[in-house]
Amino acid sequence: MEALANLSISWLDPWLMFLTAAGTLAGIYVGAIPGLSVTMATSILISFTFKWQVNEALALIAGVFIGGVYGGARTAILLNIPGAPSAIATAFDGYPLAKRGEAGEAIGLTTVMSVFGGFVGILALALMAPLITSFAIQFNSRDYLLLGLIGILLVGTLSGESFAKGAFAGALGVLIGMVGLDPMTAEGRFTYGSITLMGGVPYIAAMIGFFGVAEALVQLHNLDLATIKQKIDRIIPKLSDVKKYFWLAMRASGIGTIIGALPGTGGDIAALLAYDDAKRTTPNPEVPFGEGAKEGLVAPEAANNAAVGGAFVPMLTLGIPGDAVTAVIIGALFIHGLKPGPLMLIETPHLFWFTVGNLLLANVFLLIFGLTGVRIFTKIIECPKAVLIPLIIVLSSVGTYAIQNNPSHVYWMLGFGVIGYFLKTYGFQVGPIILGVILGPMMDSNYRRAMIGARGDIGTFLWDFVSHPISFMLTTAFVLMLLSQTPLWRPLTARIRRTRE
Amino acid sequence: MSGAQKESLRRPGEMVFSILLIVFSVTAFWQSYAISGLRGLSEPGVFPMLASATMLLSSLVIMRELMAKGSTSQDRQSSFLRDIVPLRLLVVVGFILAYVVAMPLIGFVFSSAVFLFASFWLLWRKGPVISAALTLASLAIVYIVFRMVFQVVLPGGSMIRGII
Repeated sequence: MEALANLSISWLDPWLMFLTAAGTLAGIYVGAIPGLSVTMATSILISFTFKWQVNEALALIAGVFIGGVYGGARTAILLNIPGAPSAIATAFDGYPLAKRGEAGEAIGLTTVMSVFGGFVGILALALMAPLITSFAIQFNSRDYLLLGLIGILLVGTLSGESFAKGAFAGALGVLIGMVGLDPMTAEGRFTYGSITLMGGVPYIAAMIGFFGVAEALVQLHNLDLATIKQKIDRIIPKLSDVKKYFWLAMRASGIGTIIGALPGTGGDIAALLAYDDAKRTTPNPEVPFGEGAKEGLVAPEAANNAAVGGAFVPMLTLGIPGDAVTAVIIGALFIHGLKPGPLMLIETPHLFWFTVGNLLLANVFLLIFGLTGVRIFTKIIECPKAVLIPLIIVLSSVGTYAIQNNPSHVYWMLGFGVIGYFLKTYGFQVGPIILGVILGPMMDSNYRRAMIGARGDIGTFLWDFVSHPISFMLTTAFVLMLLSQTPLWRPLTARIRRTRE
Repeated sequence: MSGAQKESLRRPGEMVFSILLIVFSVTAFWQSYAISGLRGLSEPGVFPMLASATMLLSSLVIMRELMAKGSTSQDRQSSFLRDIVPLRLLVVVGFILAYVVAMPLIGFVFSSAVFLFASFWLLWRKGPVISAALTLASLAIVYIVFRMVFQVVLPGGSMIRGII
């Protein structure tokens, strides 16, 4: 009963409702405009909202997340440019549909299926999280160490150019997270006598630098973008279509939820896998795939929105982010003095149910905004990059400054921005770095607790990894992924690559 | 994105970058060792050492992968300047640096106005009048949304205290 009361907080409070709506609407545009990303928007928003109450901040951020994952689909359909990585698969069939003059219908169907996927993901979150929590209480420090390693490893393997680059980025993030006073012994690490460094590297400045400034600098390379006008007519999809693709959407949502819940994998991979699955399980589509098959639109969109709910599962129950956006959201929770993990659901269940309710509300708004305002939308996304880039810089700088009114944080931001630019240019992903920064301190303290538990004896320490059932399972998973340098995932990655091509 | 380039060729400057990564990893490892040495396995320096060792190992692998690729072109330096750090990028980074230095001195409003105007003019090439109009409009929106709605404390500027 209490859960239900907390679930409905944002449905009853007009201000929270407004924030969720505003976040969702803003998210649709952020996701849709190529060059703006959800990670960028959430990192900047955290700095602006950290003085707010936690519910208000979460309402806005959840809206942006939900809206942003969907928004990329619109530009994918209208311009053949996925506004966000999770919409790559949507462009395969969405753009051909638009070229045939069915852009409006494609957007309508996408919206309905995104919302459907979103609901499935959230339902899974509400059902699975309490189960995982009761299981996760038995987790040991070793297990957390392993979960952190697996999360960083997965982000590194599946998203970047090469495994080594992913591993480097993750380890670099961990190292950045180590700077400052050691929480266990209060010894300085990489502080060099500087009081500023004793407080650690300001991680919000790092996030904004890597996701905001670096991305803006990369975008300088493609300033000129031709825009194509599309005819928009009917937007509300046919009921027969919704009925026809119900089971496909259901299966895609299942894929999306599971992929989203794996630590380190997010909506983009979920969408590609669901697209591939739809392709294999639909032997006779009305229109061939790649030429405007509606199946090719329904599956990735249901999957990437379902992945949102999925991504919250490891974040809220284990404190392990499911992807880059949830890594940033974990940063937001830290700022508000909360510690995501198995105890969060036990100590602050109201926050969990509030989040679930809020995600549901954001999906309702997504349905409303998704089916309206398409004509204005086409005007706004024509906003040239030359205008966007300076604005991103201004917002990033003010956001970084606003956290502690500290001008030195802005220098950190610029420094990380420039480093991030080179890393991105040479094919490194910045996602694993942020994951490393967030998870590094947690992994360090868990490693040392496990080592102290083994009385500093390396043999006992290693034996513990295989002699306890949960640790054994996780160790096996980790070692399989690591040693083989991912032949375990080769069929998976090969399939993603094939679909991408 | 950049990954879409021909995979068999090195990007300009990539080799130098990967050498820098190795140098950085070695330094990081040495500095991690300096924290607590090998006193024990649960000391504060152990995890940084593990992390920097991972960096070193992977940067060596990255180097090996790079060696297997073909070189980009003969005049590597010119294409590094053209493709990786074109003049436009350098100018924009210069603008940002000037902007973040100026912000605490002359305040958010003035520094942002100058920064936006200069960048719009440089990047959009629509002339000073349109750039100025756009600067005013976007600054007004940012100010209303963040100062009035979000109630963010924007940098005031120590040199012009009291004016804005």
